[in-house]
Amino acid sequence: MTFDFAIPDPAAWMVASAEAIALVVIVAGLLQIVFYFVLLLYAGAALGTRPPVPRSATLWRRYSEQAPAISVLAPAFNEELTIVESTRSLLALQYPDFEVIVINDGSKDGTLARLVSEFGLEQVDRFVDRSVEHAPIRGFYASPRLPRLLVVDKENGGKADALNAGINCTRTALFCAIDADSILESDALLRVVRPFIDEPDLTIAAGGTIRIANGCKVDSGRISDIKLPRNFLALVQIVEYLRAFLMARVGLGKMQALTVISGAFGLFRRRQVVEVGGYSHGTVGEDMELVLKLHRLMREAKRDYRINFIAEPVCWTECPDTLSVLGRQRARWQRGALECFVKHKDMLFNPRYGRIGIVGFGHILLVDVLGPLLEVLGYILVPLLWALGLLALPWLLAFLAVTFMFGVSLSIATLVLEEIQLRRFPKARELAVLAVIAVLENFGYRQLSNLWRLQGWWQFIRKQQSWGTMTRKGFSAT
Amino acid sequence: MTTLRDLWEVSLALCLLAMAALLLLLLARVLSARLFDRTSASRRRLLPLLLDGDPAELEPLGKRELQTAADLTVEIAEMTRGSEREALLARATALGVTDLLIVQLRSRKAQSRLNAVEALSMFEGSHDHVTGALDDRNPDVRLTAALALAQHANAPAPLDIVNKLNVGAEENSLLLVSLMVDLAETDSEAVAGLLFEKDLSYRIKVAAMDALSQRGGEYAPLLAHMARDSGNEPDLQPRIFRALGRTGHPAGAEAIMEGLLSDNWAVRAAAAEAVGNTRLVAAADRLSALLNDPHYWVRYRASEALLRIGARGVSVLRDASRSEDPVVRSAASKMLAEGRA
Repeated sequence: MTFDFAIPDPAAWMVASAEAIALVVIVAGLLQIVFYFVLLLYAGAALGTRPPVPRSATLWRRYSEQAPAISVLAPAFNEELTIVESTRSLLALQYPDFEVIVINDGSKDGTLARLVSEFGLEQVDRFVDRSVEHAPIRGFYASPRLPRLLVVDKENGGKADALNAGINCTRTALFCAIDADSILESDALLRVVRPFIDEPDLTIAAGGTIRIANGCKVDSGRISDIKLPRNFLALVQIVEYLRAFLMARVGLGKMQALTVISGAFGLFRRRQVVEVGGYSHGTVGEDMELVLKLHRLMREAKRDYRINFIAEPVCWTECPDTLSVLGRQRARWQRGALECFVKHKDMLFNPRYGRIGIVGFGHILLVDVLGPLLEVLGYILVPLLWALGLLALPWLLAFLAVTFMFGVSLSIATLVLEEIQLRRFPKARELAVLAVIAVLENFGYRQLSNLWRLQGWWQFIRKQQSWGTMTRKGFSAT
Repeated sequence: MTTLRDLWEVSLALCLLAMAALLLLLLARVLSARLFDRTSASRRRLLPLLLDGDPAELEPLGKRELQTAADLTVEIAEMTRGSEREALLARATALGVTDLLIVQLRSRKAQSRLNAVEALSMFEGSHDHVTGALDDRNPDVRLTAALALAQHANAPAPLDIVNKLNVGAEENSLLLVSLMVDLAETDSEAVAGLLFEKDLSYRIKVAAMDALSQRGGEYAPLLAHMARDSGNEPDLQPRIFRALGRTGHPAGAEAIMEGLLSDNWAVRAAAAEAVGNTRLVAAADRLSALLNDPHYWVRYRASEALLRIGARGVSVLRDASRSEDPVVRSAASKMLAEGRA
């Protein structure tokens, strides 16, 4: 490939400019693709060297004796309809030593009243820490019949604030942050705690896989029948989540360059989280921000540490199935990533932060910061410039390769990895459906998704801080 | 331009390759569904044999059914104990399960070797094979073999096992505590001896201490000596105090009282926790002084210990709940409230 940037005449100058634009778009896309394939290889290596233990009984036999105590923190805001079932499901987790702390974050509905009446709770007092900041606590509720349950009633302050209150209330070395409206697999804690058992002095955080529960049947707070949803948007998100968790996070975890542990399910060592001041207020990316703060703390103190990602512990969540709600969610995620990137920009390519500065932040820069801008630019300009005769066909083909063909092959390869290592879809037909979706998503959905991310960029520039509304329909019961 | 075209062609090829791989896997899935039916049928046939067959009449199984029998054996063995389990294992041996497991010890997959070691360790007469797994190249397999061997009286010496595991460099698991607990059952002196090995890692010494602390007061004097002597090891010392507390033995009293005055907050908290575990009434006044410690964990452990040591501690808490110092008042009154709840 040769480029002649000499400008003999305006036409040649225009061609050269068009080629330069296309080159930037293609190189950025190619870098992303190469990075993803490297992540896929790492994910394959991670799953290959330490494959999941299939049976819960085996896990229990191996690890239960030494499994450290865990506090499960479940912040709840206006969850009146689902809170009782969610709490019951949490109390039924299979783990030797755990406490469930439900934090009612100033709900305006009957969340607290439902908990109090359903579990026979009474107001109690509790001696708690004040290491991290949060809105005032109004009271504690517990029952001697349920020693594993504590309900904290506090003034509204948002999810990060509620989690901080939970952290102050925990008396265990580890805490698991979850969304109250998500469903944990019964052995999820036993699985996610494994890095803390294997490397107790090094592991400070571990994340687990989130799966989409839309379409599945739920019985008594448990997924009783795994099925694919019929809604196209929910199906696309299943493929997206597979890519994000099975490929990107497992791969980044293996590289020790994980920059985010989902707020819906993560296990943390309390001491280090308190050292960084807990979850940050005033950001919509508080889960990513916490992981970045932990990296910064450990790197700056030159302490050896591990932040891991385990593919098999599963937390089920309901995903948006309408364009408006999904769009708001994606814009918010984009805004959160940008906020974290800007807040910690000094870590980017900074050798002081090792692979988190180079790989982790390089990934954020490429995928979250530049990715949507360049891709949308490419969608508009490359076909236009080709139509105007300023770009030759090979430029258009190369653009299509990086935006569509590599994307399809990457999604399919993730499905291949999932089928070889995990086999979480019970029927072959479901895998076939997801393969079709993995192709279709590149034509329309991907472009829309990039527009939502641009919207997130715009909100970030305008410093918009609202969460938007996540309308949940609730899990379908059997 | 050639590079651009290459890019397009490579992307097409990759796409086709990925699709072909997925198609193959789908095909494999359809075929394995048939295999699953066959496995289910095998399980139904083998279950009564394993639960109720006469070992003398059982014939070794063919290759196809042997893996199913091995899986089934492990599953049932996890749910049974005593003579029932022994009978199950005798039937499994007659069916040829142990022969299969011995072959699997040489598998290329670490997970297969690990499962084989775990399963083999349940069978009498597999000691040599499991001991051989201590030299496996995978640390997880070695630890599994060590854990299995430690449950038997003829386990190798603790120091030999620790050296094989390469503790500190390759192995740091919390399961080392289980290992030491089991080894201490048969040779607690040898486990205590690990504490005096200069070259051993901190991790194995912590595990040994935890194991010894579970043997009651027998090793309390040794732990008390170590607790006092480890002032220059800020990460280790709190763990020794916690282990000392777990012994519940008065021999640790003097060291624990000293620990309450440590400059290291983690040691003060661990010593306060030890007071609660040993019901050390004499420490009540020192605990009272810790109720306004700058660190929450010290205040919490001190107030909790006061509650646990009985009437004297409760009396100190009641006095403190009327203190003018809001920090002391809050710690004492809230712990008293927790005690009432």
